[in-house]
Amino acid sequence: MSAVVERPRTTGAPLAPVTAPPRRRTSPERVAAGLTLLALLVASVLALRSVDLDPARMVQSWSNAQRFFGRVGAIEFPPLGELLQLTALTLGLVICGTLLAAVLSVPVAVLAASNTTPGPVWRATARFVTVLARAVPDVVLAMVFVLLFTLGTLPGILAIGLHSVGMISKLFADAIEQIDEGPRTAVRAAGGTRLQQFTAGVLPQVLPSWVATVLHRNDINLRGSVILGYVGVVGLGMQMSFAFKSLQYGLGLGYALVIFVLCVVMEVVSSSVRAAMLGVAPTGRGLGDRVVRGVTRRRGAGRQGAAAPETAGSAAGSTRASGAGSVSAPAAASVSTDPTRASGTPSAAVEAALRRPWDRARVRGVSWGWAAVAVVVASVLVCDIAWSDLLTVWSGVPAVAVQFWPPSFGSYEASTMLAAMGETISIALAATVLTVGGSLLIGSLAARNVAPSPGLRGGMRLLLVGIRGVPEVILAIVLIVVTGLGTQAGTLALALGGVGLLGKLIADSFEEVDPGPERALTATGASRGQVYASATLPQGTRALIGHTFYMLDTNLRAATLLGIVGAGGVGYYLLNASQGSNYATVTAIVLMILVTVLAVEGLAIWMRRVFR
Amino acid sequence: MTPHADPAATVVALEGITKHFGSTVALDDASLTVARGEVVVLLGLSGSGKSTLLRHVDGLERPTSGTVRVLGREVTRLTGRALRELRSEVGFIFQQFELVPSLTVLENVLTGSLAAVRGPRLGLWSYGRAAKVEALARLERVGLLDRAYQRADTLSGGQQQRVAIARALMQRPQVLLADEPVASLDPESSDQVMALIREIAADEGLTVICSLHQVDLALSWADRIVGLRHGQVVLDTATEGLSKAQVMEIYGRVATSTDQFEAIELELTAVGGGAGSATGAATGTAPLRGDAVR
Repeated sequence: MSAVVERPRTTGAPLAPVTAPPRRRTSPERVAAGLTLLALLVASVLALRSVDLDPARMVQSWSNAQRFFGRVGAIEFPPLGELLQLTALTLGLVICGTLLAAVLSVPVAVLAASNTTPGPVWRATARFVTVLARAVPDVVLAMVFVLLFTLGTLPGILAIGLHSVGMISKLFADAIEQIDEGPRTAVRAAGGTRLQQFTAGVLPQVLPSWVATVLHRNDINLRGSVILGYVGVVGLGMQMSFAFKSLQYGLGLGYALVIFVLCVVMEVVSSSVRAAMLGVAPTGRGLGDRVVRGVTRRRGAGRQGAAAPETAGSAAGSTRASGAGSVSAPAAASVSTDPTRASGTPSAAVEAALRRPWDRARVRGVSWGWAAVAVVVASVLVCDIAWSDLLTVWSGVPAVAVQFWPPSFGSYEASTMLAAMGETISIALAATVLTVGGSLLIGSLAARNVAPSPGLRGGMRLLLVGIRGVPEVILAIVLIVVTGLGTQAGTLALALGGVGLLGKLIADSFEEVDPGPERALTATGASRGQVYASATLPQGTRALIGHTFYMLDTNLRAATLLGIVGAGGVGYYLLNASQGSNYATVTAIVLMILVTVLAVEGLAIWMRRVFR
Repeated sequence: MTPHADPAATVVALEGITKHFGSTVALDDASLTVARGEVVVLLGLSGSGKSTLLRHVDGLERPTSGTVRVLGREVTRLTGRALRELRSEVGFIFQQFELVPSLTVLENVLTGSLAAVRGPRLGLWSYGRAAKVEALARLERVGLLDRAYQRADTLSGGQQQRVAIARALMQRPQVLLADEPVASLDPESSDQVMALIREIAADEGLTVICSLHQVDLALSWADRIVGLRHGQVVLDTATEGLSKAQVMEIYGRVATSTDQFEAIELELTAVGGGAGSATGAATGTAPLRGDAVR
């Protein structure tokens, strides 16, 4: 309330520009964090210059691109049968990998959540596992597993599975920490064991969020499977990399298009699964959520008509509440005469109620459940997993491990490698600063409380969904075709892809700000722009900083990978080293990446704490 | 003090319970004895220690000092299975019902039987037929059999509390504890829930300890009233022939200053005041909201 009262006073002063966000108390830590932010900003601007983003040259190269595409000719597709088989294989592999992560993440999350962990040591260990799993790129894991297993789908499944444990268990642990402790206490008060408290009091509360996280991760993994193809994981991505390597650009772009369509279809499917299995209306604003909402709205009209006979059928003499809390007083009294005890024979009504009616909810739940089982079984079958490899592989581990240790830069100069890592960091910083600029514009216009018209908002939201549908790797490959190899393509790919995510996050958090100050400013006669600058933006700053660091984090991981397709940075050396069997160099590069990623992660945690 | 002729009939005995949470003293040398079949109300302001006292009876809290004896066992000494066994014989009803919103009503009731089975359970299929029959009978008892397969969060507050009662009955308890069971309910649902608890207690011969803050309700409902203030037992008397004025007077005598007494009276009598002012605030902001939409 105080903010509502204060804001009009500051903005109401005549001739005062409406730009100053509300002053915060400054502590030494805040000053330090602010200076760090400033230093990062300066570094980003410098990075922007170093990645030679030259608009003039880009316009030039656009004509190159036109000539190039002219030469490439039409986009080609492989034969339909092969395409379907590859698609099934890619989907099966990704789903198996995600499932593996989903299963592994449960114990990790339980240990990592403060309210379910057996002790602080367990908790710290589990948290470290989640951070480590996220920091090691799935491509690196795939490289190792390809070496160990050589053939088949297992390398991809294990790489996706182990890497995804990081994100899924972190979000799952956060969800566990946010539960309502009441139901759990109730089970405890009834004499339940710790395990029973978890399964009966905690799990039902977090299951929806677990399913949603797993489905979301599955979308991410599908996009990531493209790049796994470059290091020898079977599927569409591998065929695409072969096509590009053999200069069949038309075919390569054909694969890219198929993967793009697959990603969008997957988002729609996972959104419908989320809605149907959980029985909750989707609240997200993604493309899939939109479609599902549209469908359920249409179906909802039919359902209301069907509800009436159901109600009449099950009333069966028992007193029935109509509406909230309006049970007639004698309701309890009328049934209290029933002498049914556990030991005696159950009454007819109880006997009848023992059979759960096949109502809409149950039919839907059961059919979705079986569909899920079918998908899992089909995925496992299509992957044709060589289970015996899981046993025989261990004999090969020492031999491989020796190759990876000790780390060394091999034939490369240490300075070259550090420069390459610096280049990767530059790409990430430059891409982040570009992303923030673009997302602030598009994201703001996509927020309901900022957009001047619903039409513009809808358009911007659609644009964001479209951008998110394109895997960054494919974006990078297309950009490399346009601008040539190098940091420029990588930076632009990350920046563009980032707008899809950050724009959405910004729009969502702007829509969630307290509308009070905005209303107060509108009441004083402030213009739309003034309200945005003085009420919306200051309130959204905290979230903005958090999201920006998340973006930097993501971009850094992605920047290391983009090098693999030739978009600059340390990833190029990573791929070279692995293809040249210089595994000690792979280890050295991975350690470099690990340290950088962990440093940024630490910085992000600190920033989030300071600007809370 | 209410006389208890037969000490064997004592079901709950708290002796000199003191409980500290950090620097705050939640209970200060509180003692309470309850005989089998008694219906006792703990009366007091919020923060007077009612909930903490109830949680000690169920072994959910351990006293800083003092002993808790329930059903002939010293709760403070129990751990592991013995503690869980005791808890299963003591039903607990919460102010916020504490049902799992996403589970069906039936499965929520079934969680009351967890202490009687081994291992975790998730999903209706994982409980046996006998348990399901019993749970449905419990639901019939509280008048909600036809709601068995609905999600718990589709029910009204009063209905949810009745489900919670069915869940507690599923434990086949000897003692029923209720912590402000109707504080989150409208008056009509409150009356139903309180009547239901009383009926069931009589039918099943349960000992009931229920915390409340409404003097009127406590007087008409309980056999005996125990008043708590700042963690101390300041009143312990049978309700028969007791008037509200007398209860207030006792409270007044132990209140050390006039404004403390007024605070008590305000809390105990004017329960509806908060809701009224909240409605006023909501209507006050309505015109502004309309403006923003435009």
